[in-house]
Amino acid sequence: MKMRVKKEHESYYDRVHLWGKISSVSALVMMLAVPLAICAYLDVWPKASGVFNGLLKIIPLFWTVAIIEVITYAPLLGAGGTYLSFVTGNISNLKLPCGLNALKNAGVKSNTPEGEVISTIAIAVSAITTTVVIAVGVVLFSPLLPLITAEDSFFAPALKQILPALFGALAGGYFAKYFKLYYLPVFIGVLVLVFAPELPVGTLIPVTVLISLLAAHLMYKKGLISVESDSDEGK
Amino acid sequence: MDFKESGFMYLVGGFVVFFIVCQSLFFLIKAWRQGRKLGLSAKTLKDTVSSSVLFTLAPALAILATVITLAGALGLVVPWIRLTVIGNISYEVTAAQSTLEAFGIPGGLAVEIKDKEVFTAAVWVMTVGSVFPLVLLPLFFKKIHNKIGQALSSKGGWSDVMSAAAFIGLISAFLAKALAGAGDKNIIGDGAGVLSLLTLISSIVFMLAFEFVCKRYKLKWLEPFAMPLSMLLAMGLAAVAWQVLPENFVTVEWRG
Repeated sequence: MKMRVKKEHESYYDRVHLWGKISSVSALVMMLAVPLAICAYLDVWPKASGVFNGLLKIIPLFWTVAIIEVITYAPLLGAGGTYLSFVTGNISNLKLPCGLNALKNAGVKSNTPEGEVISTIAIAVSAITTTVVIAVGVVLFSPLLPLITAEDSFFAPALKQILPALFGALAGGYFAKYFKLYYLPVFIGVLVLVFAPELPVGTLIPVTVLISLLAAHLMYKKGLISVESDSDEGK
Repeated sequence: MDFKESGFMYLVGGFVVFFIVCQSLFFLIKAWRQGRKLGLSAKTLKDTVSSSVLFTLAPALAILATVITLAGALGLVVPWIRLTVIGNISYEVTAAQSTLEAFGIPGGLAVEIKDKEVFTAAVWVMTVGSVFPLVLLPLFFKKIHNKIGQALSSKGGWSDVMSAAAFIGLISAFLAKALAGAGDKNIIGDGAGVLSLLTLISSIVFMLAFEFVCKRYKLKWLEPFAMPLSMLLAMGLAAVAWQVLPENFVTVEWRG
C-alpha cells in the first residue's frame, strides 16, 4: 500500500514538473508579449541602445540574484510552490512565509508528499488573493487608496512595519522548538548590517541561510540538537 | 486620455490577471486532489486556504501601496502588471530608474513619464530584467529538486534539522534587518529603530501568547489564524504607538 502511494506521488512530482515547465514557458511568452503589445498599440518602438543601456546596469545583479534565489528558495517552496512563486513574485516577503505558516499549521514538513501539497495550496491561494486585492484596488479603489497609503494617514506607520510584523510572527511560531538555531544567523546578520546597514535583505538571506545550515549541521553532529525534539516540526 | 491608463492598457492588465488566476487555480486543484489521495483531511486543506487568505491580506495591501507609489511616474497599469507577475518593489524601481538614466531623463521616478518612447523602454527593461527565473526553472529545476529529494530522504533526522535551519536562516535575515538595517534616508520610520523593534517584539509575543492559549484551552480552530492575527495586531500596535508616543522617541532610527 505504502509502495503504491509512494509511486503515485513520484508520478505526481513528474506531472508537477511537466505542468511547471509548460506554465513557466507560457508565463515567459505572456510577459514578453506585454511590452510587445504596448509598443504595437502605441506604435512606438524604443531605441535598442536605450533599452540595452538600461538593461546593462541591472542584468548582472538581477540575473545573479535569480540564480541564488532559485537555489535558496526551491528546497523550501517545494516543486509546485516554486513554479508558482517564480511566476508571481514577492517570494521572500510573502509566498515563502505563507507556505511556512501553512506547513506549520498543518503539522507537516517541507520536502514530504504532504508538505508539497500544503505548500502548493498555500502559495496558489496567496497568489490568487494578492492578484485579486491588487486588481480590485487598482480598478475600484484607486481614488481612495492615497488616503490609506498617504504619508500622514493613520495606517502609514503600520504599512512600513509589515516585514518586522510578518517575520516576528513566523519567528514566534518556531521559537519554542528551535530557539538554539536562531543565535548564530541573527548575530551574523546583525554583524553584517553593522558594517553594511543598507545591504538589501535579498542579499543578506543567502548569508544567513548558509550560516544557519552550517551551524545546525555542527550542532546536530555534536548532539546539541536532538532528533526526537525536532522530528515533529510544526505539530 | 493619458496613454498610460487607456482602455487598452487595462485590457492588457486584465489578461495578465486572468493568466495568473487560471495558473494558480490549476495548481491549487491538482494539489487539493493529490492531498485527498494522500489522506489529508478536507478540514486541513480548507484551513490551509483560509489561513493563507488571511495571511496574505496585509502584505497584498502593502504591494498595492507600492503600485500607487510607482503610479506617479508610470501610471497605474504597468506597476499593476509588473507587481502581479514576478515583480517586487526593489526590482521595478531599479529597472525603471536605470532606463530613465539611460535616456538621460532628470528627476527619475519622482517625475511623470510623458514620453512614449521612454515609457515603452522602461516596460521592456522592467520585463526583460526580471524574466530570468522563468528561463532557469524549465531547464534546471527538476534536476535540482530531484537532487534535494535524494539528499534529504537518505538522512532522516538530519534532514528535519536542516529544513528547519533553512527556514530559520531566512527568518533571521529579516530579524537582523529589523534590528540593525538602514531604511531610506528620506523616509521616516522604515529603518531599524524604536518602531521596528516594538513591532518585531510585539509580533513575537502575540504569537507566543496565541500558541499558549491554543494549547492551554485546546482551541484547534484558532491555530491557523494565530500567525496572521499576530502580524495584524503588531501592525495595529505600531500605528497606535506612532500616534500616542512622543514624536522624538517613536521616530528614532539607529541606522538612519
